[in-house]
Amino acid sequence: MKNYLVAFAFLFLISCEKDDPVIENEEELITTLTYKLTASDGTIVEGKFQDLDGDGGNAPTVNSMVLKPNTTYSGSITLLNESVSPIENITTEVEEEGNEHQFFFETTQANMTVSYDDADVNNLPVGLETKVVTGAASSGKLSITLKHEPNKSAMGVADGNIANAGGETDINVVFDVIIQ
Amino acid sequence: MSLFNKFLFLFFLSGNLIAQNCPYSISGTITDELTGSPLAFAGIYLEETQQGVLADDAGNYKIQDICQKEVHVRVTHASCEPERFFIDLQENEVKNFLLHHHAELLNEVQVHGSSNEKSTQVSSSLGKVEIVRNGNQNLADILSELTGVSTLKNGSGISKPVIHGLFGNRISILNNGIAQSGQQWGSDHAPEIDAFSADHLSVIKGVNALAYAGSTLGGVVMVEGSPVEDEPHLHGSVNYLYNSNGRGNTLNAKVEKAGKWFRWRMNGTVKMQGDSKTPTYFLTNTGRKEANFSFRADKKLNDKWSSTLNYATFNTEIGILKGSQIGNLTDLETAFNREIPFFTETGFSYSIDVPKQRVSHNLLKLELNGVLSPTQTLRFVYGGQLNNRREFDARRGDRSEKPVLSLNQWSHFFEGKYINDLSENKTLITGIQQTITDNANIPETGISPLIPDYLAYQTSLFGILNVKNNRWFHEFGFRAENKQLNVAQITRTVPRTIKRINQNFTFFSVSAGSQLTLPNHLILNGNVGLAMRPPEVNELYSFGLHQGVSSIEEGNADLKPEKSIKALITANYHKDDFLLFEITPYAQLIDNFIYLQPQREFLLTIRGAFPYFRFEQADALLLGIDALVSIEPTDKIKLINKLTFVHGKNLTDDVPLINIPPLNFSSALQVSFKNIGVAKNNTIEVEVSHTAQQSNLLASQDFVLSPDAYTLLNLRFDTTIEIKKYYISFGLKAANLLNISYRDYLNRLRYFADDTGRNFTLSSRFTF
Repeated sequence: MKNYLVAFAFLFLISCEKDDPVIENEEELITTLTYKLTASDGTIVEGKFQDLDGDGGNAPTVNSMVLKPNTTYSGSITLLNESVSPIENITTEVEEEGNEHQFFFETTQANMTVSYDDADVNNLPVGLETKVVTGAASSGKLSITLKHEPNKSAMGVADGNIANAGGETDINVVFDVIIQ
Repeated sequence: MSLFNKFLFLFFLSGNLIAQNCPYSISGTITDELTGSPLAFAGIYLEETQQGVLADDAGNYKIQDICQKEVHVRVTHASCEPERFFIDLQENEVKNFLLHHHAELLNEVQVHGSSNEKSTQVSSSLGKVEIVRNGNQNLADILSELTGVSTLKNGSGISKPVIHGLFGNRISILNNGIAQSGQQWGSDHAPEIDAFSADHLSVIKGVNALAYAGSTLGGVVMVEGSPVEDEPHLHGSVNYLYNSNGRGNTLNAKVEKAGKWFRWRMNGTVKMQGDSKTPTYFLTNTGRKEANFSFRADKKLNDKWSSTLNYATFNTEIGILKGSQIGNLTDLETAFNREIPFFTETGFSYSIDVPKQRVSHNLLKLELNGVLSPTQTLRFVYGGQLNNRREFDARRGDRSEKPVLSLNQWSHFFEGKYINDLSENKTLITGIQQTITDNANIPETGISPLIPDYLAYQTSLFGILNVKNNRWFHEFGFRAENKQLNVAQITRTVPRTIKRINQNFTFFSVSAGSQLTLPNHLILNGNVGLAMRPPEVNELYSFGLHQGVSSIEEGNADLKPEKSIKALITANYHKDDFLLFEITPYAQLIDNFIYLQPQREFLLTIRGAFPYFRFEQADALLLGIDALVSIEPTDKIKLINKLTFVHGKNLTDDVPLINIPPLNFSSALQVSFKNIGVAKNNTIEVEVSHTAQQSNLLASQDFVLSPDAYTLLNLRFDTTIEIKKYYISFGLKAANLLNISYRDYLNRLRYFADDTGRNFTLSSRFTF
């Protein structure tokens, strides 16, 4: 009986530290989106959204894009995970799974149109490569959304209309655009 | 004894019997366990000798000239749970039987029966028949039959019990006395318990359940198996259920026997269910699979000591509505405005794709009971649990096979309990408990974990004094606890580092309760208690995105323990069998109530803006009432009315509390009719259940308005067919018979889809 009690009391005294948890390699995280626009004369405009520590923590940084009026640009998107070393390029992942991904470009007030300039295996747009045509001087916003597993065959989706796309949003960033 | 001698012995024995012309007889009365009134025309049947009689109108019966000494007796009555007993007959055996005639009114005290387990706890229970009849549902859904109990759901496959408006971390679920240890914090985490393994389920609504581990601030759910009876023959049952909505199959088998070395019981359940359907479309990816097994062994070691071993394993894979997988706030708003969720397939499927959960739970319990003297009992318990939870989402690359959440939780529980009858009217129960919990993220997700790894040590001391005094029964309880928390958190800033945190909470609970039995069949039961609950790890340190609700939640390391005062009173009255009622009003004031407060700013991420919630504290008040009225104008007709109402308020900010169940009431008309040939115990039940809209809510407290009120019509037919000494019970249930479209406030999938439509369930049970 006494032995039981001693053994039992022992249980109440043990206490130890938790082992160090393994810090995950967050290889899937996207920290940075760059939208690079190249005009026919070689001028380059870059929009960059960067959130190095992922959700929460420090707020993300985002710049504005200044474009020339009545100009045609070729646009290209790069996705990076800059939280790991070496820096990981996520663009290729999206490219490889092009049929499961699609970027959507929506503008408000800015006189510009964005059209797709690439296609997946089913000949439907992905949006990593685009063509941007600006109009008269104006300013507004450009929103870029990456959908994972959208319904690309739904009405209007292949033309860049996000309304019927569904799917999960992997990226949704907004740039201030000034056309001057 | 040689074979020859045995033969001789048998020969003489049988000769003897013939000579004495069947000497045994049995007589007695059959009464209603609750009211004590006789059950007229109850049936009593001896299986071996195939002798049976009906009791007279005073519940008396007598069977004479029984030729066999050891018999199985079956006692039946319309709308009662049939009971079976094994009796070693004496020449003039007198045996009185009690039947659960009012299953909806059973409470803990009556189920356990013995006087030293008498209690002032306010509780409600469900018996075996209700459990197996609804065995295709999960535990919380079965419990919601009880007044005061609701369910918080995440689709049809995942649900957790809500008692008097509280759930999750505030409720303790005891599986054979061991507090269920798993990821209780998530609203999409259901308790990992096979309801078939239980012989009875009960819910303690009061706060004086101080002898139990786990947080009891919001009530206790008890899942209990009865001890294996000392019956030398192999008995058991096989249950099979089919439900039309989801094309679900449930198979369960249970066998038990008092063997040579110990008494044992085995229970196994398999379930497979596909996509559920609303009245108009399939809920794609809402199937589930389940495989469970449990084993129990009871052994008497010597005159003083007896032991019990329990092992249970629960394994499931549950699909989550594909259309509920969304990204940011914009996706959520798009989802709200859709008639039919995204990803809805036109056909039915059993396949389970991402998002899904894979959960397994193992429990091992050892119990040692010692009767030291007629007035002193000592009990030692060990309970070990391993809970593994993995959650999967659609991911880029080939990562969908990699979980987004992968947790392993070990828990060890030790208890020493001493029950001492101080005098004939006074019993003191004292005990010491230790719980060690080790929760770890398994490094395979590639994602910073939602909750950190931690170790928790909880030591508790308790004492309960019961005093009986004529019509009064009093109970006083005290519980003191200390919890040490050792957390290893990964920082949110880069480079990621490990931050160690130690926290210590000391807290206590006290309660007092009284029961008064008045001569005119009125029982008053009241209790008041103060209980404290330290913040859980998720409330302190979680950080991350909750997929299904599209919000980012952040813990708050400065939280203090919650302190609650709850008072409730139950009045239980019966006028013979004609009228029974039970009414339970209650009030609960919680200081430092921990809740998720929406923050004014959205949190900007690369995936867009997310609503941002932080755990904060406020003073909260819960007021409510449970009521049950059963009217039985004749012994063939019964009308059962139930009502559950709770009102929650955040006193600090003067706003309603969220996730409070809306008003619900139901009326069921049960008609029992005559035996038709071999079909016995025939009952038809029509139930109308109404759930109001949760109007006690500000528009700013939710993304969308709370769903409209809805009324469901349910039908049930039950019968038992008796063939020789075997019984086969059949039940046919139609839920949501009118196939109405509705959404339920406490179902998180209400943001995306309607609730399930009409569902027929065929249940069959073979008992041997």
